[in-house]
Order: sequence, then structure tokens, then C-alpha cells
Amino acid sequence: MATDVTYGAPSGAAADRPPEAAPPAWKNGRNLGLGRLYLRRFLRNRLAVAGVVIFVLLVLFSAFGGLFTPYTHSDADFAALTQPPSAAHWFGTNQGGNDVYASAVHGLQRSLVIAVSVSVLTIVVAAVIGSGAAYFGGRVERATLAVIHFLLVVPSFLILALVSHRLAGDWRVLIVVLTVFGWMSTARVIWSVSTSLRERDYVTAAEFMGVGALRIILRHLIPNLGSLLIVNLTLGVVATVLSETALSFLGFGVQTPDVSLGTMLADGASTVTSAPWLFAFPAGLVVLLTVSMTFIGDGLRDALDPTSVTGAAGGRR
Amino acid sequence: MLRYVTRKATGWLLMIVVATNATYFLASWFLDPRSNFKELRPVRSEIQIDRALAPYNLDPQVPIVRRWWDWLTSVVLDFDWGKSPTGVSVNGEIGYRSLVSAELVVIATILSVVIGVMLGVYTASRQYGWADRISQAVSIAVFNIPTSVAALAVVFVAIWLNQHAGLHFLYVAGENSPNVEGLLPTIGDRLLHLILPTLTLTLMGYVGYHLTQRSLLLDTINADFVRTARATGLTRAQAIRRHALRTALIPTATSVAFSVPALFTGAVITETIFGWNGMGRYFIQTISKNDVHGTVATAAFAAALTAVGAILADIATVFLDPRVRVS
Repeated sequence: MATDVTYGAPSGAAADRPPEAAPPAWKNGRNLGLGRLYLRRFLRNRLAVAGVVIFVLLVLFSAFGGLFTPYTHSDADFAALTQPPSAAHWFGTNQGGNDVYASAVHGLQRSLVIAVSVSVLTIVVAAVIGSGAAYFGGRVERATLAVIHFLLVVPSFLILALVSHRLAGDWRVLIVVLTVFGWMSTARVIWSVSTSLRERDYVTAAEFMGVGALRIILRHLIPNLGSLLIVNLTLGVVATVLSETALSFLGFGVQTPDVSLGTMLADGASTVTSAPWLFAFPAGLVVLLTVSMTFIGDGLRDALDPTSVTGAAGGRR
Repeated sequence: MLRYVTRKATGWLLMIVVATNATYFLASWFLDPRSNFKELRPVRSEIQIDRALAPYNLDPQVPIVRRWWDWLTSVVLDFDWGKSPTGVSVNGEIGYRSLVSAELVVIATILSVVIGVMLGVYTASRQYGWADRISQAVSIAVFNIPTSVAALAVVFVAIWLNQHAGLHFLYVAGENSPNVEGLLPTIGDRLLHLILPTLTLTLMGYVGYHLTQRSLLLDTINADFVRTARATGLTRAQAIRRHALRTALIPTATSVAFSVPALFTGAVITETIFGWNGMGRYFIQTISKNDVHGTVATAAFAAALTAVGAILADIATVFLDPRVRVS
């Protein structure tokens, strides 16, 4: 928050006398100036900052949380079956004597890795397909849109469950499956934005200079979708966490020897009243993860959007 | 109007047919009914297993195209969706279950749309008021909660209420009680069982409508045509309802079609947690029992639900959007 205050105050004063304030910003190079602007706009959003703090804490917890317990997620303590939280088992134990704290660390790690990699892959696939469809237009566009609309209305969750039931258990396969069935709605958003980008002068200029289609898409269309892609990346993490927990909860995602937040929820589902800690800890972690990512996504949207009012001096509040 | 609906319905029917057949091939590839027999003792040979599966059109030795053609002809001609690997008729299973699921999904959809849109209108016309801020915070929180967590939280609260407030009408398991006689008691009993699952699904569904309807209405609420409408003497509420809302409702109406698959996913989880014998739970059972025909029937049911939602959305668009001409 310190950056916010020190940087925010001079900029308010600088508005009165721009000639003195402007040159240093230009000397620093445009990239730095832009990055600073985005950072300042982002830091002004208190919820977004809270989201970053929560998310960083969750990542640290999943990476180093295992150091604070002698147990691992696969160890079974047969002297303590379904015990409430205690000094030995911080989050209690489940029916098989597994330490819930160690499982939570491992499960969060698993869910995070799946969510982040699926979200990155989805964005890459959606960006190429969405902007490609918009750039080529005509038949390619219509065919791509038909496929997207078809996959959107088909009960893709059922197909997801069907495919991952056979292949999964292995979380790496789950990443591929979730990507294959998860790119459509993002691709549609990217397509609709790209249709206006393809009419821009710089695309026409590149075409006249004989630049190839693939290069135009990669160098001219996709970079100009940057802010949209970043925002969708964070929201994609939320969507993936939700579908991964749903699949694992039903037994089609990550499977028993391995642990994710979804399998832990399934574990606690039948004992909500008799052993609430089995359900409460993974549920809390999932909600913290998704809520923090939503706040970050919201903050990024406001920070990167040039027409946004929240980032401007004064702001909404 | 009838021609317009027929044209749209034909398109959706085509979608159902393609989706169902695609699912048939996917299910045949990814589900292996033979593995059901691997656990049995005495051990069966491969040939014995294939022979056991042959009467149900599941013999892996028969080329998949032939099995598909036999399945397709029996569905089209006799509306017979085939048999499970143990010989149970799929038709007998889905008849009752689809009613149970449809009841849940349809009521939840209607409630979600109505509550979501009403909240959206109420909060958009009082932007940044306390009601707006509170409901916004609640909706963003709910938006991020997985269905399983929400359903279990509902169960937890219901059991707590039952124990502490002495309530006995919140049922957390099953879609009806055994030993209920007579028409009216049966209906009443079913409605009571419906409360919690519907509450869960509505909670999951209304959020999307609330958030999108609020932002859509905020876009139109300050538009020139709304100001013009007010200048003709309408009150603010009338101008919002008759002019701003009508424009802002169009994208919401189209989004209903796209939200049905998500709602069905929610129904799968809700039915599992509340122990309902609906299509969602049946789907999970069929997949874990490698029941190809049952899985395909469930997918067809979900596609049909989506199509019904989409056709209703198309009809709503005709009434809302003067640019859409049906003749």
C-alpha cells in the first residue's frame, strides 16, 4: 500500500503542471511507464490487492506447508481414525487415518497445478482459434463458430466425465482433457473482439507488405488482445478449479491414491455433521482460491482497460 | 410464428441427433463393458464374456459401425434405447428418472431467471446503494463456490435447523418418502423433498443472471431513449421497466440456452448429494458400470433439455426484440 500513497500523491499534484512531470516518465522508457501505470491502477483496487495476498499465501501454503507436519497425504495413522483437529493433527484425520492438514497441502498443490496449467493452455488454444477464425473470415469463421456453438450447448461435462473416467487417475491426462473441452467460451469472446481488430489499419498495412497470415495473427492480433487474455487467464483458473472439484467430487477426476481438493470434499460429504472438519478445510481452501482469483481478475480488468474509470486519478470511490 | 419455431426446432433436433450419435461413439470407445466381468469368480474367458455381452448389442467383436446401426435403428423405430451390460432395459430406468430430473432442473431454471433478473433490475436502478453493494458481494461469493460445497453447506444448515429449531420438513435425502398414500399427501411430500435441492440449484443459477442483468441494465439505463421516455411523462420505474429492461433482457434470454448444460452439471452433483434417483445420478452409475446405452440416453436427455431451453429463449427473443422478424 506504501507505493500507492507515495506514487498517488505526486501524480495528483502533477496534473497542475504536466511539463515538469512528463519528461522523466518518458526518459524511463515507455514500457516502464506503462507497467507502472498498470501497477498503480491495480494497487488502487483494495479487493484486488487482498486477492493477490490470499493467492500468494495459498501458493506458499501449498509449496511449503508440508514442512510443518511429519505426515504426508498417504500416511495412515491407525491410532487416530476420524479424529477432530488436535495438536498432532492440525486439521484432524479422515476415516482412513490420513492427516487432513497434509492432504490439504497436497490437494491444494494438485488443484493449483491443474488449474493454472489448464488455464494457460486454454488461453493459448482459444487465442489462436478465436483470432484465427476472425482473421480468415468467410467459411473458416462460420465453420469454427458452428463447432464452438455446438460444443457450448452439448453437455460437455458429461463427455468430460465419460472421457476422464477411463483415462484419469492421472492428473496430467486430466489437464489435457479439461483443456480440450474448456476452450470454447473463451475462444468465442476472443473471436468477437478480434472481428473489430482485423479491420484495423495496421493489419491492412501488414497484409500489403506481404506478411503471412500466421504471422499477422501471432504478431498483430494476439498482442493487441493482451489485456483480454490476461483477465481471461485469471477467470479461467476459477472455472478450472470449479470443474476440477466437480469432476473429482464425482470420482471422475483425480482418483483415490492421489488427493485433490475435490476428492477431499467427496471424502467429507457423507460426514458433514459428524465430522465437519473433513469438509470444512478443503471447502474453505477452494473458496479462498476462487474468490482471490476473481478479485485479481477484476482488478486486472480495471487496471488494463484503457476506458476504465477506476484507474484514473480520483477514481470511483 | 409457427414456421419460425419449427425452423429453430429442426436445427436443435439436428443438434440433438449429432450430439447423441457422437456420444455413442465416444462411450463405445471409452467404456469397456468387458471389465465388469473381470472381477467375477469363477474367471470367465474372453469368449465367454463376449458371448454374454452379445445379446445386448455390446459385443466388442462386432464392428462398431454395425453396433451403432443396430442401436440407431432400434432407437428410431421402436424408441428402444438398448440394454445395460447386465441386461436391464434403459427405457425402464430413464422413464421415471427423467421426470424427477426435469422437475428439478425446470423449477430451478425458472426460479433462477426470475430471481436473478429481478435482483439485477432492483440493484441496477439503485447502483452503489447499500442493497446493491450487499447483494453484489453475496453474488460474487456464491459465484465462486463449487456446487458441491454449496450443496453440502445447505445440508449442514438444514440438519442444524432440523435439530435446533425443531423443524421436520427439510429432507436431505431422497425425492420422496416411502409409505405415503393418496394424491395430495404424495404431492405435498414431493414438494417438501424438492425444497433443498431446488434451493441449491437456484443458488448456483441465479448468480449469473443477477450479475449480467445488472451490468446490461446499467448500460441502457442512462441511454437517450430512456431519457426520452421519461420526458414523455413516465415515472423512472416505468421507464426502466418498459424501455431499458426490454432492451437489456434480450442477451439474457439468449443466455438461458447456454446455461442449461451448466445447470444440468449442477443437477448431477445435487442429485448425488441429496440422494435423488434422477438422470444425473443415473449418469454416474452408468459410467462407473460401463453402461454404454445408459450413458448415451442420459446425454440425449441433457441435449433435449438444452434444446427446450434454447427454443423457449428463441421465442422470448421474438417478443422482446423488434428487429427479429418471424414472417
